[in-house]
Amino acid sequence: MFSLLGGIFLGWSLGANDASNVFGTAVSSKMVKFWTAALLASTFVVIGAILSGQAGIETLKGLTSISLKQAVISSVAAAITVTIMTFLGLPVSTSQSVVGSILGIGILNNQLNMAGLGKVVACWIGTPIGAAIISVLLYYGLGRLYNRAALNLFESDALIRILMIVAGSYGAYALGANNVANVTAVFVGAGLINVFYAALIGGLSIALGILTYSKPVMETVGKKLVRLDPFSALIVVLSLALTVHFYTLVGVPVSTSQAVIGGVLGIGLVKGVNTVSRLTLRNILLAWLLTPVVACFFSITINFVIHLHYIPAQ
Amino acid sequence: MFKFIFKKEQRIQKLIFEYLDTMKLCQDSFLKALQACLLNGSLCENFDFFIKQTHKFESKADDINDEINNLMYGKALIPDSRGDILGLLGAMDEIPDLFERILYMIQTQRLTVPEYLIDDIRDLVRISLECCDLLARQATALFKKTEGIRALLNTIDTNESHCDHIERRIITKIFESDMEPLQKLQIKDLIIEIGDISDEADKVSRRINIISMKRRI
Repeated sequence: MFSLLGGIFLGWSLGANDASNVFGTAVSSKMVKFWTAALLASTFVVIGAILSGQAGIETLKGLTSISLKQAVISSVAAAITVTIMTFLGLPVSTSQSVVGSILGIGILNNQLNMAGLGKVVACWIGTPIGAAIISVLLYYGLGRLYNRAALNLFESDALIRILMIVAGSYGAYALGANNVANVTAVFVGAGLINVFYAALIGGLSIALGILTYSKPVMETVGKKLVRLDPFSALIVVLSLALTVHFYTLVGVPVSTSQAVIGGVLGIGLVKGVNTVSRLTLRNILLAWLLTPVVACFFSITINFVIHLHYIPAQ
Repeated sequence: MFKFIFKKEQRIQKLIFEYLDTMKLCQDSFLKALQACLLNGSLCENFDFFIKQTHKFESKADDINDEINNLMYGKALIPDSRGDILGLLGAMDEIPDLFERILYMIQTQRLTVPEYLIDDIRDLVRISLECCDLLARQATALFKKTEGIRALLNTIDTNESHCDHIERRIITKIFESDMEPLQKLQIKDLIIEIGDISDEADKVSRRINIISMKRRI
């Protein structure tokens, strides 16, 4: 069980970082209190992980055969990658770093499921694009209903606050269902735990990250996002939740950060304004390319280092 | 809708309507004060009483405004709506202030209006206060139902232009007259202050329209 610590740490950092994507806007703009958001997010992450986390776990498990030692190495490599990329200020994806580190192990084992890998990469490309498309469709569709309702200021305010909580909770459910595979799939592949325990432990470790360390991230990351009007912020969270849920059904862990940026881009398209700066887009692209490569590199390097043996001179 | 959850918001809504009622009372007592003194020759019966009444309602409006501010800082409503309501009430509060300032001006400077200006001033006051009534209806529309806001803005805008026209006419008459130069300046200042009522109403009306437009997708 000690071997699971690397995965639990990864889950903790995922929870601390990615909860801001679903509740960051609502918390940083004081629409929802932090503890309300944290309790809802952690509850729905665990529910999502247990009820719908299986497909992602099966996909990652199927990328390569892996031993327990290699599972620990890949977890640690992914965690180091996430830490370094965060330190560099690049929008890192835990999913990409986990797949990158598994790829490293696959290269060493000379055994890679290329069809599975192709599906994963296609979904990575589809995440921001899909979120942007959903965001545009939702903006027009829900916008029409909202206008037709002709609500007064107080009714409109109340409706948006309630929908923000519902959308955030749904986003948390999708986050748990989709990203739990990043945390514990390698240990299922190594035969240490079964799928149910992987979902439970993964979900709980993400929830722990949300409850213990997501407050500063929610408050700062939420403010770093473009200032959106409340309706647009709601659309972004809903499009994130729907996109990530869709990829959960496909069985591929994707990045919630990239889904958020896709959603914000969609709003920009509708309104005809630049909601995401060129610098942000450059950083996303850079992180997109670098994360799997760096994780793969660390995975191979760590594996190489722990297999070094001291041979005394004869 | 959702009344059982948002108690703080319900309290704010109730206070806003209380504020609008108080503003109307302040406006009525302002009109009575003007009628008691300025617009009916120099009778000035009950003038001091109506000034006190106007001051009382203006203070009450301030107190309601403060209570709304406190509730807002207690994190009621989403920040966007919070900013909109605070800005709107801040702008609206200029109007009762103006009522009080005009009456104090008449009282402290012992102003009397020449006969030949009374009809024009009566028109100016009537149309300015009509702007305030329309503004209250527009604010009610914003907080109760959303229809008719744009139409009310147009009417207030037309009235405001009319007030500007009357204001210019009165000032021209003042400076064509053989009044003492000091009195000319005093009356001119008074007319400008009265003219400001419709200007303020127009500004607030535009703000209400923007708040309403912002909520259209």
